[in-house]
Order: sequence, then structure tokens, then C-alpha cells
Amino acid sequence: MRKFLAVVKHEYKKIVLKWTFLIGTLLFPLIAAGFAIVPAIIFSIKGEPTRIAVVDQSGKIAPRLKENLSAERMSAKVKQAAKDSLTDLNASQQEQINRSAEQFGASFVFTDYDFAEKPLEQIRRELGGKITAKELDAYLIIPNNLDSADAKYEFRSRKAGDFGGERNLRDALNEAVRSERLAGANISETQLKDLSRNVDFDSKSLDEKGDEKDSDSVFIASFVIGLMIYITLAIYGQMIMGAVVEEKETRIAEILFSSAKPFELMMGKLVGVGLAGLTQLAIWVISALVLVGIGVAQMSAAGMSISIPNISPLMVVYFFIFFLLGFFIYASIFALIGSMVTTMQEGGQFSLPPIMLLLIGFYFSFAVIRDPNSSLSFWVSIAPFFAPITMPVRILAETPPFWQIALSILINSLAIAGLVWLASRVYRVGMLMYGKRATIPEVWKWIRQS
Amino acid sequence: MNEQTATLRVVNVTKRFGDFTAVNDLSFEVKAGRVFGFLGPNGAGKTTTIRMIVGITHPDDGEIEIFGEKFSMEMQNRIGYLPEERGLYKKMKVQDQLRYFAALKDVSQKEADRRIDYWLERMNLSEWKTKKTTDLSKGMSQKVQFISTVLHNPDLLILDEPFSGLDPVNVEFMIEVVAELKAQGKTIIFSTHLMETAERLCDDIILINKSRKIIGGTLREVKASFSKNLIALRAIGGDSVLEDKTLVAGFVKHADEREIELAEDADAQILLKKLIENGAAISKFEQIEPSLNDIFIEKVNETNA
Repeated sequence: MRKFLAVVKHEYKKIVLKWTFLIGTLLFPLIAAGFAIVPAIIFSIKGEPTRIAVVDQSGKIAPRLKENLSAERMSAKVKQAAKDSLTDLNASQQEQINRSAEQFGASFVFTDYDFAEKPLEQIRRELGGKITAKELDAYLIIPNNLDSADAKYEFRSRKAGDFGGERNLRDALNEAVRSERLAGANISETQLKDLSRNVDFDSKSLDEKGDEKDSDSVFIASFVIGLMIYITLAIYGQMIMGAVVEEKETRIAEILFSSAKPFELMMGKLVGVGLAGLTQLAIWVISALVLVGIGVAQMSAAGMSISIPNISPLMVVYFFIFFLLGFFIYASIFALIGSMVTTMQEGGQFSLPPIMLLLIGFYFSFAVIRDPNSSLSFWVSIAPFFAPITMPVRILAETPPFWQIALSILINSLAIAGLVWLASRVYRVGMLMYGKRATIPEVWKWIRQS
Repeated sequence: MNEQTATLRVVNVTKRFGDFTAVNDLSFEVKAGRVFGFLGPNGAGKTTTIRMIVGITHPDDGEIEIFGEKFSMEMQNRIGYLPEERGLYKKMKVQDQLRYFAALKDVSQKEADRRIDYWLERMNLSEWKTKKTTDLSKGMSQKVQFISTVLHNPDLLILDEPFSGLDPVNVEFMIEVVAELKAQGKTIIFSTHLMETAERLCDDIILINKSRKIIGGTLREVKASFSKNLIALRAIGGDSVLEDKTLVAGFVKHADEREIELAEDADAQILLKKLIENGAAISKFEQIEPSLNDIFIEKVNETNA
């Protein structure tokens, strides 16, 4: 037992006292936050406004188009769109919407161009020349006859990738032409707005007590939990493999085996690395809870309500239990692979199957989030290999009856017992086999021997 | 422990791997406080035997007794094993590795730290205590590995090619250290391919080949049993004596001396007397013992044939 604890301490310290552990612990939340924030930042970067010349041969569209593209109208549109998708707006969201609306509004500058009496060919040539000379970014030619079958609205631009701007222009143009047609049909714009108003779609899911919960935040939280377990299992599993391969590669195994039982050595390694993983997860979970807590407290102090998923302490306990189950399942597989191969590169090839299993489990968690009570969700959340990811997701999405959780824990514990038994047999023999990678039949022989 | 008790007894031990018999009905004893040379060519079964002694594997048949008792895992704490294939953790500090190896032998950290300081000092490695393995030269790593073998103050030491990767100066230094450990009453099993070193260090030897024991005993006995009555002679005159077939079976001429093989039952003293009587001026007359190297090569070739 003392030797076992010495191994645990050795493995734990080897990971936790390294600077990479600190970096990883700090980096993961930053990366996760980065995934959420960076796209928003990129899209909010404002380009130069597009200088555009509008050639309105009909003479009816240009004023409406300019009005549709004005800053005030754009802001109103963006706000309306945001209101449809978000029910409660908080201050920062409100501000963000205002900001992006202003940007859209300011994205076109109209340049005057006198096209009177000029033939179309000459107009095109002259405007094209201006674009080449960089006096102009784009031009739009509106045909004389708006509704004839061959009427074409010509838009030519220097900025090939400005999809947002192009879409706004097209929408504004369509709207302007539609208004013109409606005016022709004697329908006023207020009447039109009335007719085409969107319905108010209020989406919330119910938990087992019948309380409403916000489906968006549950989806995000479940996804984050699934991702977190998936990533930590993959990383710490490979760490186990690295540690095993190192001892084999450097031939330390022989010295170790002359000092302690192989089973003690392997279990010590699994437990030590597992505790390191648990430490990292605990830091993440606790800091996430504290940060969310502070954030919520501040927002409610400012009179704003924000919906966060309701996470009970029991859920956190389950979360750690299933992490540990998953860890021991995958760690024993990786330990087995590590004792079969001779180098880390070879190990990399063999680690594809367990990584695929993890990935499938992660994908199943989407099915579980979508319908936590389906029979598929039931089976994947008790099946070994998948349950460590899918069950915590399911518990968060909609906590299943206790017997299902208990069954899942039982089945996965049995799987661990079997896998540890297999791994320890392969470990005992494989660690002393130098020179070449073991074949599957050889490994099978080691398992059956003695 | 007195000279007569056996620290290790290997009794009719056999170990098979599938169809291959790695060790076949092997028996020998290692007496307490002596240096025991465990010799044999590559693939003879040495490593397999040693692994059984240190409890990494277990015999299929036969028994291993250590310190007068049947082998048990607790005995690992009293054995120090330096394997031929060995290494250190690459990114760990020297002190931390040694602490870990000591902890695996149930040595308390306080005691381990004291011994680590002593041994690093003894090996002139004190300034490397907090350096990582990757900073050490090959010779230095070898010495650190040696320290890890003796940190728990074992009664039985098993050293498999302990001097590989060391320069001649360090080999001499390590031989001194091994002699020191022997003087402290440790029993040492020493496995090597360097016959000269074995000859200098070992009290007893065993030679195994193809999973079986070929010869064994004290170094003296083994050499005596191989004595071929060779004499190195450097002399001027007396050539007629060498033609006497009752005394000399034959001779080979080297640069300025002759290697003479005595005839069966002939006495070296009579040869010397006759040479002097015949007026030979003798500057060298020496009975040659076969070297361990010669015995090794001859015996291994014999059993391979």
C-alpha cells in the first residue's frame, strides 16, 4: 500500500507541478471563451463604407433605396431581428445591437453621378473606369422598366467578399421595388407591415417538476459539459499512455518491477493521473460556478434577469463520478496500448480506436440533448464507453430516474474491472518486451497466460 | 551472516516461454559476502534467471531461496537490481528520481535524502542533484542508476553489466565502490561479458549456455580444472631438452619466447632442472593459467557444437 501511494504521489506531482498543467488549466477557459467571443469581434470589425453610384433609369427607386439604407432604418431592422430571437435583452446586448445597427447604416456612401442622356454602354464604361481608378467602390444600374421580364439590376463591385453589405443592398433594393409595386396597387406601407408581422414564438422546455427552463442555456451547458469530459478524457488518457511508454522506452520498467508489483504500479499510475485530471476539472468547475455566480449577482443587482441552467450540487457530484468512470475506462485502454507498443508514435496509431469511441460518445450527446427521454438516449447513457459523456449531459438536460443512473454506474464499474484486469495482464508482460511492437495474437497469449 | 551461509539458492529452476525453454533445471548457490560472477553468452538465460531472482517473473519448476527462506515479494526491499537495459526519467531531477526509487523500496524520505546526499558525494555528482537527466552525460547517468540500486542498502546486489558506458577511469572507480560494498558484507551477483573484470572481481563463478549450467565453482577451482600445463619460456640455449617427448608435447614460438605444452604427467620442475643442466640461460619460466576469457570461449564453443 505504501508503494502504491508512492506511485500515486509520483504520477500526480509529475503532472500537476509542471508548468504545462498551469497553462492548460488557465488556457482551456480562455479558449472556450475565445470560441464564443472571437467571431463576434471579427464580425463587429467595421470595414470602410462602400462608395456607390446609383444609376436609376426609372427615376422612382433611388430615393426609396437611399432611405432604406439610412442609419435609422438599418438600426430599426437589426433591433427587430434581435427581438425576434431573444426575448429578454440585457444592457450589453442592447448596446451591441445599437452598435452593429450604426455600422450597417454607415456602410454605404452615395456618390453623385450625372448619367442624363448617356447610353448604357457609356455609363458602364465611365463607372467601370472610376472603379479601376478607385474613385468608386461599386455601382448599381436600375433599369427603366422595373417589371418587364428582361429587367436586370446590375450591381458591380470591387469588394468581392462583402456578403453582408451586398445582402443589405439587395434587401433594401427589393424592399424599395416592392414598395413601388405596392404603391402601384394602392396598398399603403402600414397596411403591408401589419400583414407581414412575425408571430411571437416563446420557446422554453419543462423539467421534471414542470418548471420552465430556458432551452438555449440548457443546450449550451450540456454541450460544454460533454465537450469538457470528452477533452479531459482524451488528454489524460493519452497522458497515461505517454507515462507507460516512457517507462518502457527508458527501460525503467525493469527497475520498477524489481521494486513493486506490476498491478500496484499500474493502478498507482491510473489513480495518480486520474487525481491530476480531477484536480484540473475541479478548478474549472469551481471557477466557472464562482464566475457565473458573480456575474448573475451583478446583473440582478443592476436589475437585469439572466437565465442560467439550474445545476444542483448533486449534478456536480454525478459529473465527477462519471468523469472518473470514463477516466478509468479510457485510461486502462491507453495503458494497455502503451504497454503493447515501443514508441509514442506507434501508440498514436493505436489510440485511434479509443479516440473514435470517445468521439462517438460525444456525438451521441447531441442526440441526448435533443431528446433526453428517447430509448436511444437511455441505451447510450448506460452503455460503457459512451455513458461517461452522455449520462452527465442527460442528467443536465433532463435528469433520468435514479435507477437508470445507478444502473449506468454499475455497468461502467464492471467494465472498468474487466478492462483493468486485461490491461494489468498485458502491462505485466508487455513492459519487459523490448524491441518490437506486440501483435494482437501475442497480446491475447499474454492475457491467457498464468 | 558467516561465509558458509548461502544468500541465494537456485534449486532445479526451469522457466519456459511457450515452446522455448529459457532456463533448464538450473541449480547454484551464492555464498554470503562474496562476489559471484554470473557468466554466459547473449541469450544463455542470464536475464531470465535474474528476473526470477528479483521476483519479476517466477519459475515454472524448482525453487528460489533467498536469505534462507523461500522467495516472497517482501524480499524485493532487500535486493538491489541494476538491469543491463536501464534508464532514468528524462525530465526529472536527479534527486526526485532517486527519492522515488527509494520510496518504492520502502525507504522513508528522510533516510532516503540522507543516503542520496552520501552517494552523490561519493560519486562526485553532488552538484548535479537538482539537474535533469537530460543534462547528464552517459557515464553520469550510469552512476545515478547505480545509486538507485544501492539506496535502500540491500543485502543482495545484482549488477548486470554495471560498467557499460563508463570510461576506464570510471570503471576503476566503480570497481573500487563494488569492493567497498563487498567489504561491508554485501553479497554481489555480477553479470558481465568483460572476462578480465570478472576475473578481478569474482570469488566464485558460474558459466551458463543454452539455458544450462556448464561449469561453476570458485574462480581458483575453475581455472585449475582448465590448466593445460602451459609454460612460457624465454631462454638462450637448451633447445635439445625441448625435443624430449617424455617432457614436452609441443611448443609454439612467439617473438622472443616459446609457449610450451608439457607432456602428460610431466613435471614442470624437472623440465626447469634439465634446462639448467643443459646450460640454458633462462630469463623467464612461468606456468601459464588459462584466462577466464579462454575458458569462456572454449566452453561455449564446445556446448554450441
